[in-house]
Amino acid sequence: MKIGVFVCHCGSNIEGTVDTKTVAEASLDFPEVTFATDTMYACSEPGQDGIIEAIEEHKLDGVVVASCTPRMHEPTFRKTLERAGLNPYMFEMANIREHVSWIGKDREANTNKAADLVRIAVEKLRRNQPLTPKEFDINRRVLVIGGGVAGIQAALDCAEAGLEVVMVERESTIGGKMAKLDKTFPTVDCSSCILGPRMVEIAQHPNITLYAYSEVESVSGYVGNFEVQVKKKATYVDWAKCTGCGECVEKCPSRKAPDPFNELLAPGRAINIPFPQAIPKKAYIQAEHCIKLTKDKCGNCAKVCPSDAINFEAKDEIITEEVGGIIAATGYDLFDWTVYEEYGGGRYPDVVTSLQYERMLSASGPTGGHVKRPSDGKEPKKVVFIQCVGSRDKSVGRPYCSGFCCMYTAKQAILTKDHIPDSESYVFYMDIRAPGKLYDEFTRRAMEEYGAQYIRGRVGMVYPDGEGQLVVRGADTLMGTQVEVKADLVVLAVGAEAAKNSPQLAEKLRISYDAYGFFMEGHPKLKPVETNTAGVYLAGACQGAKDIPASVGQGSAAAAKVIGLFSKEKLKSDPQTALVDIKRCIGCGKCAETCPFGAINMTEFRGQPKAEVLETVCQGCGLCAATCPQGAVQLKHFTDNQILAEVEALCRF
Amino acid sequence: MLEQLKDTIKKALPELDFVIGWGMGFDALHATPLFMYEPEDVDKLVWGPLNVHNLATYLPALKGRKVGIVVKGCDSRSVAELLQENLINREDVVIFGAPCRGTVSLTKIRKVIGNTGLIEDVNYADGTLTVKAEGASHEMALKDIRADKCGYCRFPNAVLSDHFVGEKRAPQVEEDTFEDLAEFESQPFEERRDFWMKEMDRCIRCYACRNACPLCVCRDHCVAQSRDPHWLSQQDGVRDKFMFQIIHATHLAGRCTTCGECERACPVDIPVLLFKRKFTKAIKDTFDYDAGLDPEATPPLLAFKANEDNIKEKEW
Ligand SMILES: Cc1cc2nc3c(=O)[nH]c(=O)nc-3n(C[C@H](O)[C@H](O)[C@H](O)COP(=O)(O)OP(=O)(O)OC[C@H]3O[C@@H](n4cnc5c(N)ncnc54)[C@H](O)[C@@H]3O)c2cc1C
Ligand code: SF4
Ligand code: SF4
Repeated sequence: MKIGVFVCHCGSNIEGTVDTKTVAEASLDFPEVTFATDTMYACSEPGQDGIIEAIEEHKLDGVVVASCTPRMHEPTFRKTLERAGLNPYMFEMANIREHVSWIGKDREANTNKAADLVRIAVEKLRRNQPLTPKEFDINRRVLVIGGGVAGIQAALDCAEAGLEVVMVERESTIGGKMAKLDKTFPTVDCSSCILGPRMVEIAQHPNITLYAYSEVESVSGYVGNFEVQVKKKATYVDWAKCTGCGECVEKCPSRKAPDPFNELLAPGRAINIPFPQAIPKKAYIQAEHCIKLTKDKCGNCAKVCPSDAINFEAKDEIITEEVGGIIAATGYDLFDWTVYEEYGGGRYPDVVTSLQYERMLSASGPTGGHVKRPSDGKEPKKVVFIQCVGSRDKSVGRPYCSGFCCMYTAKQAILTKDHIPDSESYVFYMDIRAPGKLYDEFTRRAMEEYGAQYIRGRVGMVYPDGEGQLVVRGADTLMGTQVEVKADLVVLAVGAEAAKNSPQLAEKLRISYDAYGFFMEGHPKLKPVETNTAGVYLAGACQGAKDIPASVGQGSAAAAKVIGLFSKEKLKSDPQTALVDIKRCIGCGKCAETCPFGAINMTEFRGQPKAEVLETVCQGCGLCAATCPQGAVQLKHFTDNQILAEVEALCRF
Repeated sequence: MLEQLKDTIKKALPELDFVIGWGMGFDALHATPLFMYEPEDVDKLVWGPLNVHNLATYLPALKGRKVGIVVKGCDSRSVAELLQENLINREDVVIFGAPCRGTVSLTKIRKVIGNTGLIEDVNYADGTLTVKAEGASHEMALKDIRADKCGYCRFPNAVLSDHFVGEKRAPQVEEDTFEDLAEFESQPFEERRDFWMKEMDRCIRCYACRNACPLCVCRDHCVAQSRDPHWLSQQDGVRDKFMFQIIHATHLAGRCTTCGECERACPVDIPVLLFKRKFTKAIKDTFDYDAGLDPEATPPLLAFKANEDNIKEKEW
């Protein structure tokens, strides 16, 4: 074998603390290395051309590039090899940037370490085999999980492009948080007026199948061919018959049930239709509050329903859907602010969340769009907004900025003035973050035209004054004084956190999530809607808090990715999979038990049980290889012998 | 009780190819595996503290044949483990169990009586073992010469059997507290390392430990000899010997029932069971799992769980 080694400067990124020329020279001593050079930017066009020329001139049959992380450029260089007529898997990368130059300053030590990493890569490459991917068909249907504005956008874009779309929404209606909002910044246009028509489109589009009040139970398969089990939770109402007339809700005597759509501002009924524009507009029963289902009494709804839709016998149902791509758009949930004892920990009725306030402002909300104090129903004249509740606060484990709270607080201050012209608004803030188009102008308007008084500082305490008002005491860091404001109503700008059960969903989808449960994108800059699992994409706030324009943008971006994926004739599988040596396999089946992807099939060969790897399903995790006591399963491209050779290369003494 | 066991075996024998038990070996101290094909063979069966071998080791190679096997409590756990791993079929084996009072360690006996010539007679009664050799008579308290594993035995009766003869005995201990291991580990690292380097240096790479292990089932593909993958070199040195023991113990993590066959088989008396004790404790602590109790259980290392109950990866 003739190996060529290319040691990249990465401008000064590597060259700054690694002597790349010396590394290249040292490489010439490694077994089978016949050519070595340093290069300015290996990934640039001249850099790649240099590799191709060297392959041709020196008749190389394997290449090591010592540069950056393979996550970014391994595919780049594999293509370079392909263009030079080599098998793309006759390539290894030594990461001397993230693993060397960026983490150490000692030039000599770095240079030695870089040479060691090249030696490891060379030893591995010497044992590489040319690999060829398999081709397989694509099922051109897409699953969208979550029917918030991001999911709606993604679903409509895909459906318009002619793809069949399956949408799974956890609640009984789609719309997500946006459906709960009154108006939206920075234009203050009515949220349901702009979202409503899009929700209707979802219901009416011939290419879209909607499963509301449903969740993804399990996902198996792989890009192009996923199999998804959808759990349709029992609603106890036959939606094929229900017309959404609402008779049942009127007559339901269980009047202390929660009303999640209205953020628990007012009690709801056991049978419920979230709001007039709900899609689908169907009733569902919250079983634990239904008198019939808990005590076998009542049954009023069944009596009054003109369509005979109520079915107390209903059970959860599992439906299997086959799709080729998945878009996760499960949004966010609000931080549980009651951990803040200083704001009353949830004991004062007139301390509400921002989303509850949106429901108060909304004409379809429980107060019919009239702002009223929960305690006595009076119109508040003095409203205090507290920003960054559960955002930018390490002490509650939420160090990040939720992004949209500054903006919606300004919006709510403006709307407060619109609703109650003789009201005063105070906003306690840390910084104003308004970096969007027309955003800064918008917050200025709240201050200048609507007279909202912005106080820079944290609130130390909120407590009732005993005469029906709340005292908000905080620091004014600009004035350097303590301030106290008496408020009729306090609105907490509660921050965003990952939607409930996000980690569990991520595990089903086999995608990564961060320490807070938000899904991880493939690359923070260059792959914002991709994940590290092929065929699974992200849209909206499930990837991190973001406002509506950004969520919609990601919805379209994820759709474009799926459309791009499906535009291919066939997909190629990654050939770095497990392989069973049937001579060694004793058919014990341990690999099949440990494989998290169900990629191992037990078959028979000449009457003996044997394991077999389904190449397209295998993700190359290597669990089976570690499990097999016989060493009969080896991971192609990462065989035991390759790993041992790497270890030997490192531990030479 | 022995007679009752013999009768039971004789009754079952017509349905079976043969039954494996113990008979007297080349002298009165050494029992040896006995393959009983005919009722006359059954008369040679012995039962007592000299039945040191774990006969379950024979079973995987006999998969597909109908055989019977006589087991002590510890042996029965190996059978359970083999069943669990589909290495044998339940319908093909008939298990004969009887209560065990513990077995001897021949190494410990040798330490007392030395290298004698022919053993003339062996008697055991009331907790004492008497060995007559070269005219001398040696009396030993059974508890001084019993196998270490019997000291922390929790299952003196077969954990599964088709025929159980005799009255069930109470276990030696309720809980295995791994005191032996704790004592060893209380030494500083250097001492432990030196201990193992010295012990392992004696290893002659005969692989008796592997061959005796009922759960070492790789047959011709043991890493010890394979070149592909080439985990162990052919170099003579303590490193490769030590490496083999670590691989052996790792492959048995969550499977090993600490029957002690490896250590018993070692011709140079290396205490290799201690490695397995270490792993057994780790499995117990991490997964609250005991190997070889339930043929239906899924051993922790043969299952994939995204979130392990006791491994809080996310909190690392
Ligand atoms: C008080 C407040 C006011 C706001 N005002 C504005 C504003 O004026 N302008 C603006 O641009 N932004 C505003 N925002 C931000 C806005 O709410 C978000 O940008 C937007 O909702 C994000 O959309 P999404 O689709 O990503 O997530 P979501 O709206 O959260 O939708 C996610 C959907 O997925 C569903 N779901 C969750 N988990 C699952 C699961 N496991 N399976 C199936 N379905 C699931 C949910 O039920 C939900 O329907 C405001 C936010 C708040 C809190
Ligand atoms: S179930 Fe019947 S009564 Fe209830 S909303 Fe549907 S049609 Fe109306
Ligand atoms: S490497 Fe093995 S365990 Fe992992 S996915 Fe492939 S077949 Fe399954």
